[in-house]
Amino acid sequence: MSAPDAGRREQVIGTWEGKTFDVRDHSTDPVPADAMSGGITIDGLTKRYGTVTAVDDLTFDVEPGVVTGFLGPNGAGKTTTLRMLLGLVTPTAGRALIDGRRYAELTEPRRAVGAVLEATGFHPGRSGRDHLRILALAGGIPGSRVEEVLDRVGLADSGHRRVGGYSLGMRQRLGLAAALLGEPKVLVLDEPANGLDPAGMADLRDLLRDLADEGHTVLMSSHVLSEVAQTVDRVVILAGGTLRYAGPLTELTAKGETLEAAFLRLTSAPDTDPATGATTAPAHR
Amino acid sequence: MHTLIRTEALKLRTVRSPWLLLAASPLLMIAGVSGLVVSTGTDKALDTAAQSGALAHVGVTSILTLVFGILAVAGEYRHKTITDTYLSTPARGRVIGAKLVVHGVLGAVSGVLSSLVGLGVAAAWWADKGVSFEWSDSSMWTTIGGGISWNAAFAAIGVGVGALVRSLVGAVAVALAWVALVEGIVGQLIGDLARWLPFNAGRALGAGTEAMTTADLLPRWGGGAVLAVYTVVFAVLAVTTSVRRDVS
Repeated sequence: MSAPDAGRREQVIGTWEGKTFDVRDHSTDPVPADAMSGGITIDGLTKRYGTVTAVDDLTFDVEPGVVTGFLGPNGAGKTTTLRMLLGLVTPTAGRALIDGRRYAELTEPRRAVGAVLEATGFHPGRSGRDHLRILALAGGIPGSRVEEVLDRVGLADSGHRRVGGYSLGMRQRLGLAAALLGEPKVLVLDEPANGLDPAGMADLRDLLRDLADEGHTVLMSSHVLSEVAQTVDRVVILAGGTLRYAGPLTELTAKGETLEAAFLRLTSAPDTDPATGATTAPAHR
Repeated sequence: MHTLIRTEALKLRTVRSPWLLLAASPLLMIAGVSGLVVSTGTDKALDTAAQSGALAHVGVTSILTLVFGILAVAGEYRHKTITDTYLSTPARGRVIGAKLVVHGVLGAVSGVLSSLVGLGVAAAWWADKGVSFEWSDSSMWTTIGGGISWNAAFAAIGVGVGALVRSLVGAVAVALAWVALVEGIVGQLIGDLARWLPFNAGRALGAGTEAMTTADLLPRWGGGAVLAVYTVVFAVLAVTTSVRRDVS
């Protein structure tokens, strides 16, 4: 991992004959959330449920400073991959790392990673504000952040209401507020556009763009290819649990092909197809 | 661990359903004690044995703390908040540990409140009948102590059942069917061994040895020891299975 080393160079405390040395052993130091590079590394990641292989030897990187779209047909293994990244599902083989660490090894996970997952829920009898207060308390985040994120996602006036009375779009906004609570370096979003109206969609797009421009890592799965085409810089495409493409969006659509056409071509072809292999390998390296 | 315990307490404070459930315990006490007095009628005196019988209802309310405990983990699966819980605290064993502590303590608190209500109602009935209530009766106080312990143990066992079954409806159904049906039917099949089953152990500890069952019960200390073993076994199973399982 090169990125964490870059961070450590600033902590050099020894010099000798004009050369500088990092005389401390930092290998066991906790990485403070604000010193994270925020890169995501998926390395040989595999998940089998009995005889079914949901995710098959997946390898790709997600870089900070750009929005990465995570695409694939239903059942491609997107959600399982994200759940393995977040430590909710144990991989059968391989690793999913954030800043070189497994999720469970992060010292302050809520400050390092914010996640919006499709299967995340809320107690219908609890207010949106109380939901966030619980996450702030558990995550070691100051309570003042609760009002800030409610305001950020446009729920300031609805925070006191029970979530049972929220619309789907409001729940998505609350999920987003929860993800932003710890001001994390890395954002992982599973279908965040679901249920959002056009205004909410535009807000989300602006938010993700801003975060990426500030150097955050943004990984977002989506079905809505037209939305993805407007929002993301890079794409990772899965089908049948295997990687079909990982690289810049511009490279995918360079020959005048639309994202949709490229997506359909990549996800319908078997992964042994030489054409796919040729497209995948150089783009990923 | 301190933060986790405060988090679990905040989760409970921000919803109503668990409190509505626990609020049923004092109501059960009022109904149970009054029912006992009314059915006693005039032919039988209200004596110290009747006092213990009345306060034995404290133990029976542990059925409610059992369901209260089940809500801890199975309720989080039901509303899919378990994902956020584990994202905040990837050390799942500590989360379950905090739930066991908070629910066990609140189970005991519920038992104390049930006891106070039961004592008040019983004393009022005794006064109404012109009988002096024997506050220093040690048998009544051990019945109350056993009942409170039974409440706490069943709350913790409930956390374990919920963590093992995960489906809220399934866990509640299994637990209530066990208490109401299985233990009775299986008990008849296995005879003397029935005294080792959890609800009968609770009865031995907190329901007094008379009137409430025909089964042969363990001595009070034996019932307490057996119930403690069940509690530890369920707590350990809750932690180990929660740490291993995928959340999806």
